[in-house]
Amino acid sequence: MIKSVMVMNTQGKPRLAKFYDFQPVEKQQELIRSVFGVLCGRADNVSNFVEADSIFGPGTRLVYKHFATLYFVFIFDSSENELAMLDLIQVFVETLDKCFKNLHTILDEIIFGGQVLETSSIEVIKAVEEISKLESASNAIALVSKSVSGWRSR
Amino acid sequence: MALSGMRGLSVFISDIRNCPNKEQERLRVDKELGNIRTRFKNEKGLSPYEKKKYVWKMLYIYMLGYDVDFGHMEAVSLISAPKYPEKQVGYIVTSCLLNENHDFLRLAINTVRNDIIGRNETFQCLALTMVGNIGGREFAESLAPDVQKLIISSSCRPLVRKKAALCLLRLYRKNPDVVNVDGWADRMAQLLDERDLGVLTSSMSLLVALVSNNHEAYWSCLPKCDVPQEYTYYGIPSPWLQVKTMRALQYFPTVEDPNTRRSLFEVLQRILMGTDVVKNVNKNNASHAVLFEALALVMHLDAEKEMMSQCIALLGKFIAVREPNIRYLGLENMTRMLMVTDVHDIIKRHQAQIITSLKDPDISIRRRALDLLYGMCDVSNAKDIVEELLQYLSTADFAMREELSLKAAILAEKFAPDLSWYVDVILQLIDKAGDFVSDDIWFRVVQFVTNNEDLQPYAAAKAREYLDKPAIHETMVKVSAYLLGEYSHLLARRPGCSPKEIFSIIHEKLPTVSMSTVAILLSTYAKILMHTQPADPELQNQIWAIFNKYESCIEVEIQQRAVEYFALSRKGAALMDILAEMPKFPERQSSLIKKAEDVEVDTAEQSAIKLRAQQQQTSTALVVADQSSANGTSPVNQLGLVKVPSMSSSVIYSSKWDFDQSRSSTSTSSPSPSPDLLGDLLGPLAIEGPPVAGESEQNVVSGLEGVAAVDAAAIVPVTVQTNAVEPIGNIAERFHALCLKDSGVLYEDPYVQIGIKAEWRGHHGRLVLFLGNKNTSPLFSVQALILPPSHLKMELSLVPETIPPRAQVQCPLEVMNLRPSRDVAVLDFSYKFNTNMVNVKLRLPAVLNKFLQPITVSAEEFFPQWRSLSGPPLKLQEVVRGVRPMPLLEMANLFNSCHLIVCPGLDPNPNNLVASTTFYSESTRAMLCLTRIETDPADRTQLRMTVASGDPTLTFELKEFIKEQLVSIPIAPRPPAPVPPTPSVAQPVPPAAPSNDPGAMLAGLL
Repeated sequence: MIKSVMVMNTQGKPRLAKFYDFQPVEKQQELIRSVFGVLCGRADNVSNFVEADSIFGPGTRLVYKHFATLYFVFIFDSSENELAMLDLIQVFVETLDKCFKNLHTILDEIIFGGQVLETSSIEVIKAVEEISKLESASNAIALVSKSVSGWRSR
Repeated sequence: MALSGMRGLSVFISDIRNCPNKEQERLRVDKELGNIRTRFKNEKGLSPYEKKKYVWKMLYIYMLGYDVDFGHMEAVSLISAPKYPEKQVGYIVTSCLLNENHDFLRLAINTVRNDIIGRNETFQCLALTMVGNIGGREFAESLAPDVQKLIISSSCRPLVRKKAALCLLRLYRKNPDVVNVDGWADRMAQLLDERDLGVLTSSMSLLVALVSNNHEAYWSCLPKCDVPQEYTYYGIPSPWLQVKTMRALQYFPTVEDPNTRRSLFEVLQRILMGTDVVKNVNKNNASHAVLFEALALVMHLDAEKEMMSQCIALLGKFIAVREPNIRYLGLENMTRMLMVTDVHDIIKRHQAQIITSLKDPDISIRRRALDLLYGMCDVSNAKDIVEELLQYLSTADFAMREELSLKAAILAEKFAPDLSWYVDVILQLIDKAGDFVSDDIWFRVVQFVTNNEDLQPYAAAKAREYLDKPAIHETMVKVSAYLLGEYSHLLARRPGCSPKEIFSIIHEKLPTVSMSTVAILLSTYAKILMHTQPADPELQNQIWAIFNKYESCIEVEIQQRAVEYFALSRKGAALMDILAEMPKFPERQSSLIKKAEDVEVDTAEQSAIKLRAQQQQTSTALVVADQSSANGTSPVNQLGLVKVPSMSSSVIYSSKWDFDQSRSSTSTSSPSPSPDLLGDLLGPLAIEGPPVAGESEQNVVSGLEGVAAVDAAAIVPVTVQTNAVEPIGNIAERFHALCLKDSGVLYEDPYVQIGIKAEWRGHHGRLVLFLGNKNTSPLFSVQALILPPSHLKMELSLVPETIPPRAQVQCPLEVMNLRPSRDVAVLDFSYKFNTNMVNVKLRLPAVLNKFLQPITVSAEEFFPQWRSLSGPPLKLQEVVRGVRPMPLLEMANLFNSCHLIVCPGLDPNPNNLVASTTFYSESTRAMLCLTRIETDPADRTQLRMTVASGDPTLTFELKEFIKEQLVSIPIAPRPPAPVPPTPSVAQPVPPAAPSNDPGAMLAGLL
């Protein structure tokens, strides 16, 4: 299961943090800080894996990817495959590349309660677009039409 | 986030981003929080749009790391808004801000349920997402059936169904008892026929969870585990699903059906052979994700040796590639491979490459390489590997040095081709990384040298060499001083090794070392003096001067040594006898290796089997893998290593021995070695007994220990030693310790450890047996039978037949006391290891005093009761002879530790003790018991005891019980060298600190 997803910049400022096990705020901040502490010391040409036992308890793994000024970090337990997680980061990033809005919605379409929901960025974008259409539609009409599910299922 | 059109929010965010420092950011946030708070107060004037805006701001502030402790109600209330944007905000913010135990969530359950069963798919998605992210018990109870319906509903779109599947998975993980999955095997099989990738992926995750809990029911799903080709990621068909599918297969026991097996292996073979390292990083990752999962599956399926060596060849290729991720995983999987199969020889071919990885720029990879080297080390390659590690030690980063030095020390000890090499390695280790060498390590060297005469001159010479180095670590000073003190006379003819030279080179170090080392140095000087025959007056004067100087040292240990050595060294020839060479240490398991076994849990990683054990742990909480941390204090007593063995007939020794023992028993819990420890190390040197004034106080402790020891002898242990396996520690002692406390180790042998934890309430008791497998292979045919005596009703929960490697199983045991009796329940425990059947019968500490609850009575309550119970059979009196002599204070402690609380001041005679307690059983209910002990100060071996209670059997049983505690088999003087109890043996330290206990205080005054 995925325990947490973090996106932070190279200064250690969190840009997105999601914990799938409940953590109190101070703990979250502490975790983000210690993750950053580990990551900022790593060179560019090293592996994407870091042992996170000391931060998150035994058996946890951390996989990260570094793009420009951002770190994308996934933390998960031993029931997941590390490289597959790396792929998932790639999917997440590619999706963001294609449509950079509604970060939370996109993440929710990819990971659900710590489990992987969808790995195809096309599907994710489809779902996100539907939602944003709905948002703007309801902003305009000011009322969700009852027939929405009708036209969405084509 | 729907920021479009929300100007206030955008402005706030850009304000925050423009803050030059944390202080201003905080000011801005506080201002905003104040603003939101006042806005929420007069809610009437708030439009849904404004409410939404403020809740968004709250979320943003929360994500910046500030505590938001208000406005939860507003967030939850947005969930029930009819419009999508508000509802969405409500859901998202609620699932971020609240956790499952939050009261407000209850308010939302109905709305959430309406959204789930409603027709609006978008609302369904929102609701499922929140339930999945929070996943509390109440949600599970009220929503699980609806969610289950959604998964298989044919009218829903895949978008909803995949979310429903994962939502169910989450609810099931958190509360498996609430979610009813009976009959889901068929539905799962049906779901796997699904063609939509998202639904399939989610279903596969759900399947993994269900199978890991109960694989039996889901065999029907096995043939359906295949992957559709529609979606490709960098040219690889649904890599994620492939990985998940193979993971699911690992939760089934090995596939037996030859057809399935063959086709499975064909697929695996294709994956193994068809994967190449390519240019595109992403493609590489995806294909290797599949490949590594395939490898794990191959290991799980116990493939033929041929396929295994193919895998290793592949891994060998990986650890040499440029791509660091692949290198990392290659090393990790090789380590796993070591655990699962017998492929050492093939892996050894890659040793050179692995050693290169030890110098990799990436610490993650270096760690993996270290683990692998550690795992693959054996007698044949130990020399190479350990020397590599030593070399690496001087350049390794600090984060790794401790682990590295511990591992090097362990490997050196385990696989030393000859002992002088071992000594070399450890001395080098101390020289290079003294700060990271724990005391265990140098104690062990001392032990080896002491036990091997051939080694002594060599070790002494080596130690002498190191002393010539300009700056040496303090640990090195300790070892060399110790070794030279003992064995420098063996070097006497060599240049630079005359007693005088040795003394002066050691003495040079004295000003720079800590007090604990000074103590060792003093002993060394005494030894040097002793070995210098005929005496050299000049040296003698020098050393005496030092002793004189330290006679007024503030450190008691050093002061004592200085005084004693000075007095002793004036005795001339008698000194020879007293300061004789240290005797051999009894052979025992190295505490280092024991420690290493703990470490291995962390590092050597997971076989498929262990993985499964872990999975079970998360889902049923029954099997708990042993996860002690690498540098946490191991249960091994640090002192155990160097406890002084038996040595001579002199009686004074034993008193010193007692002293040390009592001191060490009080300090076992301190993780850092104190001078006490060194007192132990050099115990027999410091000959004079402890100062008389302190004696009674020390006896309190050592005496109590005595109780356990005495008892152990008094009752014939039930355990019959017919097994090939030797238990570690004394079973009877462990039992007696557990009689006085509620948790500890009941039994231990090289394969298994049984711990116990008990809670007692009235006549009920709840014990938990912790059955721990200490090995890397599973224990089979595990059986635990309880043979209860007639007065106890005991119910043991199911004990699993197999204990996975390095796992611990907890078995609750319910006990009910029907009536008073001293009979003892027996646990008949057996298991199979390799071909050995091991069977032990262990007494369970569900003894009479566990059903006693302390109660203090006042004089007004006591005397009427005492008088009303007149004469037999309710009140019994007996004169007991042959009591182990002990001061009253100690006796009071003994009573207190048995839950018989001594009531001070009730008896006018200071030589008497009065104690009271309540006994619980089903037949007697709560019953007050009163006891009076009258001692004779002139003859401590006899006393008169009166016991009274409202039940004749209880009176009798209690009287006998107390008698058992008091009567002793003569043991004084204590046999000089019982191998000191292994520290994991519970030391019966009195539960009540004597100084706080009124009874003890009273007795102390007498």
